[in-house]
Amino acid sequence: MSTSTDHTATIPAEPPLVTGNLGFHDITQLVSYHTEKRPPSVWYMTLLVSSTLLSILLILIGYLVWNGVGVWGNNNPVGWGWPIVNFVFWVGIGHAGTLISAILFLFRQQWRTAINRSAEAMTIFAVICALLFPTIHVGRVWVIYWTLPLPNQMEMWPQFKSPLLWDVFAVSVYFTVSLVFWYIGMVPDLATLRDRARNTFKRRILGFFSLGWSGANRHWRNYEKTYLLLAALATPLVLSVHSVVSFDFAVSIIPGWHTTIFPPYFVAGAIFSGFAMVMTLLILARRIYGIENIITIDHLEKMAIITLLTGTMVGFAYITEFFIAWYSQVEYEQYAFINRATGPYAWAYWIMMSCNLLFPQFFWVKRLRRSIPFLFVTSIIVNIGMWFERFVITVTSLHRDFLPSSWDYFNPTWVDMLTFAGSFGLFMTLFLLFLRFMPMVAMAEVKMVLPESDPHFYDDHDESEPSTH
Amino acid sequence: MISLPVIDGPYSEPDLKMWRSHPHLHQDPDLIEVASEELIPGASEGPTGTNRRHFMQLLGASMAMAGLAACRRPVETIMPFSDRPEELIPGVALNYATAMNFRGVARPILAKSYDGRPVKLEGNPDHPNASGSSSVFDQASLLQLYDPDRSKQILHNGSNASWQDVLNLLQQTLSGNRRIAVLAAPDSSPTRARLRVELENQFSSFEWIDYRSEGDDSEALGFQMAYGLPLRPIYDFQNAEIIVSLDADFLGTTAANGNWNTYSFTQGRKLNGVEDQMSRLYVMESTYTSTGTMADHRLRMRSDQISDFASQLATALGIYSGSTPDALASEIARELLNSNGQCILVAGETQPPEVHALCALINDTVGAVGATISLLDTEQSPQNPQSQTLPALVDDMESGLIDVLLMLGVNPVYDAPPALGFHSALERVNDSIHLGLHVDETAQKSTWHIPMAHFLEAWGDGRSWNGTLTPVQPLIAPLYDNARSEIEILHALSTGQIASGYDLVRQTWTSVLDDQEFEMQWRRVLHNGYLEGTGYDSVTTEPSFDGPLADSHSGLELILRLDSTLLDGSFANNAWCQELPDPITKIVWDNVAVMSPKTAADYGLVCRYSKGRYISDVVRISANGQQVDLPIWILPGHADETISVNLGYGRNISTTRPQRDTPFWDKDDETDVYAKGTLATGIGTNVSILRNTFSQSVIPDANITATGQKWTIVTTQDHGILDTKSRPIVRMATLDEYREDPAFALQDEVPTPSSDVKTDFQEYPELWKDSHPAKSTAFRDSDYWQNQWGMVIDLNACTGCNACIVACQAENNIQVVGKKEVGNGRELHWLRIDRYFVTDGGTQLDADPQIVMQPIPCQHCENAPCESVCPVAATVHSPDGTNQMIYNRCIGTRYCANNCPYKVRRYNFYNWSKTIPETVQMAQNPNVSIRFRGVMEKCSFCIQRIRETQKRAGLEKRSLHRDEVVTACQQACPAEAITFGDLNDDQSQVSQAMQNARGYKLLAELNIKPRVSYLARVRNPNLDLEPADIS
Repeated sequence: MSTSTDHTATIPAEPPLVTGNLGFHDITQLVSYHTEKRPPSVWYMTLLVSSTLLSILLILIGYLVWNGVGVWGNNNPVGWGWPIVNFVFWVGIGHAGTLISAILFLFRQQWRTAINRSAEAMTIFAVICALLFPTIHVGRVWVIYWTLPLPNQMEMWPQFKSPLLWDVFAVSVYFTVSLVFWYIGMVPDLATLRDRARNTFKRRILGFFSLGWSGANRHWRNYEKTYLLLAALATPLVLSVHSVVSFDFAVSIIPGWHTTIFPPYFVAGAIFSGFAMVMTLLILARRIYGIENIITIDHLEKMAIITLLTGTMVGFAYITEFFIAWYSQVEYEQYAFINRATGPYAWAYWIMMSCNLLFPQFFWVKRLRRSIPFLFVTSIIVNIGMWFERFVITVTSLHRDFLPSSWDYFNPTWVDMLTFAGSFGLFMTLFLLFLRFMPMVAMAEVKMVLPESDPHFYDDHDESEPSTH
Repeated sequence: MISLPVIDGPYSEPDLKMWRSHPHLHQDPDLIEVASEELIPGASEGPTGTNRRHFMQLLGASMAMAGLAACRRPVETIMPFSDRPEELIPGVALNYATAMNFRGVARPILAKSYDGRPVKLEGNPDHPNASGSSSVFDQASLLQLYDPDRSKQILHNGSNASWQDVLNLLQQTLSGNRRIAVLAAPDSSPTRARLRVELENQFSSFEWIDYRSEGDDSEALGFQMAYGLPLRPIYDFQNAEIIVSLDADFLGTTAANGNWNTYSFTQGRKLNGVEDQMSRLYVMESTYTSTGTMADHRLRMRSDQISDFASQLATALGIYSGSTPDALASEIARELLNSNGQCILVAGETQPPEVHALCALINDTVGAVGATISLLDTEQSPQNPQSQTLPALVDDMESGLIDVLLMLGVNPVYDAPPALGFHSALERVNDSIHLGLHVDETAQKSTWHIPMAHFLEAWGDGRSWNGTLTPVQPLIAPLYDNARSEIEILHALSTGQIASGYDLVRQTWTSVLDDQEFEMQWRRVLHNGYLEGTGYDSVTTEPSFDGPLADSHSGLELILRLDSTLLDGSFANNAWCQELPDPITKIVWDNVAVMSPKTAADYGLVCRYSKGRYISDVVRISANGQQVDLPIWILPGHADETISVNLGYGRNISTTRPQRDTPFWDKDDETDVYAKGTLATGIGTNVSILRNTFSQSVIPDANITATGQKWTIVTTQDHGILDTKSRPIVRMATLDEYREDPAFALQDEVPTPSSDVKTDFQEYPELWKDSHPAKSTAFRDSDYWQNQWGMVIDLNACTGCNACIVACQAENNIQVVGKKEVGNGRELHWLRIDRYFVTDGGTQLDADPQIVMQPIPCQHCENAPCESVCPVAATVHSPDGTNQMIYNRCIGTRYCANNCPYKVRRYNFYNWSKTIPETVQMAQNPNVSIRFRGVMEKCSFCIQRIRETQKRAGLEKRSLHRDEVVTACQQACPAEAITFGDLNDDQSQVSQAMQNARGYKLLAELNIKPRVSYLARVRNPNLDLEPADIS
């Protein structure tokens, strides 16, 4: 393939993806070390906080199932409140991982290797959080399995016309493929950990999951084929899952929901929020675990550029919606959008606009793109904005629709808020466990992008200075 | 042991021998051993001798008997259904004609009973004084029967006593020749009147006062003033051309003859074609009433200006020398004269008797009496007003002249004016006996309390508004053994003996019915619910009135009215009534001080909408030395410098029912409206203490001061001024516009692929037209496909009276959620009445808006947006064209509710059906599922009634009669605004109504093809009137 030659040819032109003069072993050591030593005290503290939040989540789910959906703020015009907002929020976050691993892989974006493992892990954990919300938000959670096409004596199938059902399929397929993709990509690294393990028990477990990986040429060949195929399979899913999520809204007839722009706009928004979340987490992780040389400032800058791009796309969509509402000349449609910007939830709308459209524009400035504190703050602001985007779409469209007599207001309850906070507990607990027990960076893949991995590396260079290509 | 020959009949060996193998044939011992270990015949039988079949028999029999034990019917012994009571088929409803006493008038009722348990009340359609419709109170009185807080025990000084104790007391009274007084709620019962006469003859000192909690009957007093007798008017609104209301809410739910008035009024407003005539209604009123919403011209006025207006009218007609008529009064006078007697002038209850007398004079002058108004002789002699007789009685009580005070169904401790001093006088009475449904304020202060039997538990009789004799027959034995009816108590007082109400009523009726055929006639009366030809005679006498009218005053005016959902407080412990939105303000679970926007601004008061609720300033209203704190409510269209308050709130009822307390993680005690004591206690504030005599329903010089406190008010609806141009939800026109273009409602209709509205420029093909499920063979093959159900609602008839909502609630087991949850937007009413203020521009938008009402049930869209989004197919379309909710299948995603453009779907956010008290469970309709939490529900077009009627027709081997199926809302509606039926039948009422040119479908532009049509509203304004005249 010509790409490989292109790619080797371009390496000298680009800044190094891994800095700090690291060799193969250094990378193995840097990454594996964290699964083997005692975690830093900040890890314990964070785990304490997140597992507390997780316990709150579990208690509140019990409270919810015991008492009913009334413990939330949902009411008659606003049938979907925070749970669905949170669902879309988490699904959105779960977008970056597969995008980074699959689409950027197909586009041969080598910089992805430093972040893809943790981004994929984040995806899976975010999708777990996302799946939680539609499950518990139904009134009778004990019969949630009726949404699955299970053969039964009544020959009663789910209703295939419902976007919610498409959602069930889309999100669960996305989850399954992401999980498999993540796992397959991890097999060589698990084998590395297995080989380093000193404890028999640990070696057994890692041995089981590394599928007898021996690093043989044949293994590598099969591995790379599988990885490529899975990447190809996951790529359409990245686009489809959030399109389907957007159908929940777009297929309805409610002004503010019934919009054809939703699928691309939701996908852009999902990538936007996903990258922001990856940034938030990795800025912390690279600092705490001292892997700044693997996840470099260049990686962060690239993510900032994607954030700028998708943020602007989302902002464009917001404005297009307004234009179309005006252009339609439909009173209900026009009112829905005027109400967003000036109605009782205008504050949420303007939070959304400023966080999502305005703040990422600072990334036009290179200095800000490369400022870690600024990136960190912006990444959090973007996620706040994206949560509010879903809030604005869900709640403000519902609270005032066709008949003014039914208009009402939605007030979240403490249960809404703590459940959302608890979902962060679930997410963070899983992520912390991942950091503790799994290779947080795809060692094998990072090694592939080291200059040394080029078979011709030593042809042109003096052995004494391997890092100055 | 129960044995049935069919099942346990003798078993004879068959002749044919079947065998499996050779050893088997020869009874090989080894094989027999093996066989006995397998589950072959008899192996499942237990060692005790009871086999599975016997067990099932026992189980079935004990279930049947357990069911029997739960039934209450007027038989003394519980018998198995092998001795089935005549005509009673388990599961098949029986209807009995009975009547309810409503403000002294018998309301004819048809009560539906399942297995001896009344579950639904309707108007008696055959009764000469009813159209078969019912009001809020007729419907809600069912829940009064099952009120869990009804008093159950006879109380003597607060502790339990027995009926024998009461009898001893009454016998002492009888022998001791004690001085007796009776305070009784007005009732038209001939039996009660007979017993009263007996008592008056029997005791040397006996006083009887009819006690109306709302005060003097100013209408009767006014007619007495004009005619010398308390004549009763009966209005024929149907044939009137001009109707003028002077603060009269004759269409309101509290009007004693409201159902008849509404029926008659709306009949005169039905427009089926351009040549149809329509009456014109002028309303001068101080607050916005249901009548005001129907007005063609409405003028808000202070109550005292209304009497001035009456005097202007009379002056303009030349029969009175009062104020100089203004342009409006002159015009109305001219119209009244030109109508050739086809007119009616009605004065309201809040107006003094003088205004009623003057109105009687005007009606007589313009020729309405005899044409559209009949005056009935109620066979009453002239009465002294209660505001005069009651103080005399209280003086007697105070000075110890009364030994025994019998209070029948009244609550004077709660609602008598404090200046009367009733409370302290009551303590001076040796034996005060209270008969009531609840241990209420008066019961708590009386020495004796006797539980009163509900009208569905006791025999009685009464006379309807037009005088027709109407029997009251019970459908159920008293739920509480000690409960007695008024006539039983009165008889016990008179004789010292217990007699059954049945005998007492029959005894009265012996004088009415023919002796020879008494039994047959009596049965016919009970069957029909009335005795024909017993209406009051109408009289023609000359009225005269030249007295002065009360002067207008300048101070802030306070008007006390009966509440349109709680009446005088007797319905305050009724969950349906508390949760029923006020027809105009839409407030639930509260009473408020209603005022106009200007008055509120003048006093610096605000009522702010915030996050789905209203945060309202609390004002201290002081009048006659009494003070009451009430939150304010700003009502556009209310008269300035006037405050309206409603009676019936601030009750204090005691109950023995234990409170519900659940652990902190269980919200049952929060969500159950019955959890913390009685419903009525602590809701709102008692305003009856503000008046100083019973003649005062308008207090001239009230004061209000802001207290600085705030109160949260909950409504079922936001305030909203409707711009009818941009949102054509309620469509309306004037009569002339209608005559010019009868289809005005469709003028600006947006074309849809399926609508008949054609556009010039584009044809929109309908998507999947031929593959619509309704066209599928599965639908066509269904028998139900023969009928396609639809509904038409006439906005020109709907007065917004709420009867349909309560009827729906009673029919469909709709639960009550309480103030907090209504505030959260979680009320469950399947049918709601949307109220919109309409203004046609101008500077003062909120000064004089019109109000329009629009009932919204599920529209049963043919392209239902709710159906396509449900992931589990829990809401589907039936072959007969209704949108059905399958509760068992629903998992509660609420997507359907989101996607419903009418927002008619209701969700069980909590397990409201779990906490229903036992007695209230008895009020549930057995034909409708009780919904569990987490399940969506909504209007079903009363599918249970459709299926029941179809089954009945099927059993009778016939097809459905035309218009045989009637929905609960349709049946209740006094205005006949709701038409329901089969759209496949061209001649059905609903098909005819669909042809009406005024028809339009709500949000038809969404191409969802609703099955409910609305008939646009038409007003009939007087174009000769300048806008300046009426504002």
